[in-house]
Amino acid sequence: MFFTYFKRGLLAGGVAGLAYGLFMAAVANPLVGYLEHAQHGHSHAPDGGSVIAESTTALVSVGGGLLWALFLGGCFGIVLYFLEPALPGRGAAKGFVLAASGFLTISVTPWLVLPPFAPGAEQALATSTRFALYAGLVALGGLIAASSVLAYNRIEPRGRALAVVAGATPVVAAVVVLSLVSPTLVSHPELSADLVAAYRAMVVLSQGSIWLLIAATFGWLQRRTPFESTTTEPTQPTP
Amino acid sequence: MTPESDTVADRIDTARAEIAPTTALGIFGFGAAITFTLLLLQEPLAHESLHNFRHAAGIVCH
Repeated sequence: MFFTYFKRGLLAGGVAGLAYGLFMAAVANPLVGYLEHAQHGHSHAPDGGSVIAESTTALVSVGGGLLWALFLGGCFGIVLYFLEPALPGRGAAKGFVLAASGFLTISVTPWLVLPPFAPGAEQALATSTRFALYAGLVALGGLIAASSVLAYNRIEPRGRALAVVAGATPVVAAVVVLSLVSPTLVSHPELSADLVAAYRAMVVLSQGSIWLLIAATFGWLQRRTPFESTTTEPTQPTP
Repeated sequence: MTPESDTVADRIDTARAEIAPTTALGIFGFGAAITFTLLLLQEPLAHESLHNFRHAAGIVCH
């Protein structure tokens, strides 16, 4: 039972990873490369020029994208197995709720304070500070997602529309408050604001698509085997 | 039993019976290794080659 979910999650992650790897190869790699060359002096290597060939970077990044989606898919399968009974909706809808929660927890909430940045960005904080802040924001995101689901479940008997409003309240409140309160920690002195906005939209949409694809694929795989029991199978006679 | 009628506690009990501790540790260790490599590793070579990915995925890294 657990392993069915885990395997299904990994499969869904693999499908999303293929799509995301393709996206990395076709869109993100060339774009990041271009932005890097368009600005003077941005490199992570000590003296200007990069120590690693660009083709290697591109290939490793595609692999990284695939691994990332696989990882998210595996986590998705495990968490869905445990939390499925507590999630609102029925059938595949539960998966989409979980995917939205995951996206909110590990991406959206941290981005409200530490937005995605293009090469050449100037950071106000040191790397270690950003890691600590990121970890805190992930925890906060998890709390927001959990309170949203709990609010929905509590109000649900009194009407679904009311429950949707109750469930959306923590998310909307957090997004508004965090984006108003947080100072600008990242700036792009050499890039136009439009380009930075487009770059951020690309990052947000691509990460959101990974989650959407994982949930959709997982739901599809689940529908293909509809008659499974949720408890451990009583010893089945094997031929 | 329909998929709707069990609880989170049931799922945890089922998983306890189903997963050996070593398997759980293995899965967890593998997940931790991926997280570390993709998100945290600052060693220059690995860091530099994952650079595009980290920018594109919006990872708070460097």
